[in-house]
Amino acid sequence: MSQLILWKEDLQQLFHRLQAAYRVIGPLAADGVVGLAELENLSSLPIGHRDRQGPGVYRLENVGDADIFSFVVGPDSVKRFLHPPVQHPYTFRKSRKRLHIASPRAAPQEKPLAFFALRPCDVAALKLLDKVFLESPLKDRRYQAVRDGVFLLAVNCLHPAETCFCHAMQTGPEVRDGFDLSLTELDAGFLVEIGSEKGKEILNGVPTAEATARDAAEKAAKLEASRSRMKRSVPLRALPQVLYNHLEHPRWAETAARCLGCGNCTQVCPTCFCTTAHDHVSLACLAQKEAQWCGSRVRLWDSCFSLNFARVHGGNFRTSRKARYRHWMLHKLAYWIDQFGTPGCVGCGRCITWCPVGIDVTEELEAIAASRNVP
Amino acid sequence: MIHDPMIPFEATIRWIKKETRDTATYAMKIADRRIARAYRFQPGQFNMLSIPGIGEAPISISSAPEEEEILHTVRVAGDVTTQLSRLRPGDAVGMRGPFGTSWPLDEVEDRDLLIVAGGLGIAPLRSAIRRILHLARRRKTASCPTGKKFILYGAKTPKDILFRDEFPRYRSAFQVHLTVDKADPEESWKGEVGLIPTLMRHVSFNPLKSIVFLCGPEVMMQVFTKELTARGVPPEKIFVAMERNMNCGVGLCGHCLFGPVFVCKDGPIFRLSRIVDFWGVREI
Repeated sequence: MSQLILWKEDLQQLFHRLQAAYRVIGPLAADGVVGLAELENLSSLPIGHRDRQGPGVYRLENVGDADIFSFVVGPDSVKRFLHPPVQHPYTFRKSRKRLHIASPRAAPQEKPLAFFALRPCDVAALKLLDKVFLESPLKDRRYQAVRDGVFLLAVNCLHPAETCFCHAMQTGPEVRDGFDLSLTELDAGFLVEIGSEKGKEILNGVPTAEATARDAAEKAAKLEASRSRMKRSVPLRALPQVLYNHLEHPRWAETAARCLGCGNCTQVCPTCFCTTAHDHVSLACLAQKEAQWCGSRVRLWDSCFSLNFARVHGGNFRTSRKARYRHWMLHKLAYWIDQFGTPGCVGCGRCITWCPVGIDVTEELEAIAASRNVP
Repeated sequence: MIHDPMIPFEATIRWIKKETRDTATYAMKIADRRIARAYRFQPGQFNMLSIPGIGEAPISISSAPEEEEILHTVRVAGDVTTQLSRLRPGDAVGMRGPFGTSWPLDEVEDRDLLIVAGGLGIAPLRSAIRRILHLARRRKTASCPTGKKFILYGAKTPKDILFRDEFPRYRSAFQVHLTVDKADPEESWKGEVGLIPTLMRHVSFNPLKSIVFLCGPEVMMQVFTKELTARGVPPEKIFVAMERNMNCGVGLCGHCLFGPVFVCKDGPIFRLSRIVDFWGVREI
């Protein structure tokens, strides 16, 4: 793969090329966090900001950094755009004898989405969501409609947060595949890698130079420094068996005593995909004589931490918080491997940062994996 | 499936038959002829029945695929089933499906077949029973099971026995054994009293050359699978139908996860060997 250099002042041109063909979604600081939103221009990026993250801690600070991408990920992720928190799969109108169901035809999108400055963990998360929604025999047609035509511009992470552990999950800090273009921010410019024809095409007319061996070395050194700053480890090779062997480990109850069951971890997780659905009935149609009910089906993000998640009539399969925490962690780090061939965790660290009591999934896993003799 | 599996289609109730005090069978007909023609199911699969404005519930199909109408045998349990019980023939409901795995009838061959049902668990098994009866009648020897065939069925009380009027017909191909947890004082129940495993002493089969279809409350199935494995039936030949909270029916919503399997998509009928590591683990 050929490597190019894009000078920092020419990033603007790349951005305009993207904007002409796509709705560009990128990092935007609002309410003290970096979220994702449609970018109007490059200057709205939180340039010079750093996010200080820790278990249960997030602070966005303007440090006046010369680097453009010195922040990493906030609570927001691509999940929100491809698998929206609220969907309306169909509307209904029902009289006693007839039922009319209408599913909104997917409105032809004005422009496909381009994700600007997506982090390697989120590129990996997108690949996992594809597995869930597109590789199942009955695929999610709504997901597919948005996913088709998406452009991914990835940015390698040189300033990982304290909570990041993509290195341990082998998803970062360097993006390896699944992107259209990737950037590594060097002192003078960006080292550009082309990941697809689409990526190559978007570079047309953007001034670039051939990268030298010195640039490549600088990139390697910066990424190595980034790796060495990530201290968390994950016993990947022991998964999933180490968790299956410890379904009754005392640690589950200890963690559950701290866990609030709030579900923050599942909402910020870029791969948690669970939903629930209910009927929303509008009062408006009561006025119409012939219609007994009318309304819409609403599909919402759900969390396995909610008490009703595993409820059936006459019983609930996971009433204790211990069981619900265990279920979440097992799904991420064990069941996913059986279901989709890879863990459902990408090492973004969001669940650690946004846990109000700072429960650290890597620490929990380590505690359980360490006591191999406990039955 | 020509239809988006997430969007229900209209079905009309043709007739309703009250089975017991809290259970009734609903015959449904798919309204759209194009969807009706493409609709195919296998014994053991389920539909998502919806009453828009109330909600949706997974209900197994209790008729055989050869039969004209699609039957659902439903006990009043939650909001949807309560509302269903208030409907009359001619009323419309929503339907999605069919979903899930089916009873592996092609694996029976010359094995001894044990069909074991507890309570409403007979509903998805009725579909398999009637298919076998159908095959036996038409003497399709290639696909018709040729070993000994048993039905072991337990209900709470004699009044709770479902499809009681059909058992004489079942006896043409099956040895049928019934039991009740408690005999009603006013009724003259002459049969067995006790949990389903008590029926095992009436049954003589070759454990190494048998196959078991099991559906009922999870506790009953756990006790019974223990009994079967103790008798030497390999877990590869025991099939259990599981119940979990099913919301989407296609493995996308996560509610029905049981260990690493989606009950709606990988099940509801599982080969016991596939889920044995999680079978009986509390709150998994």
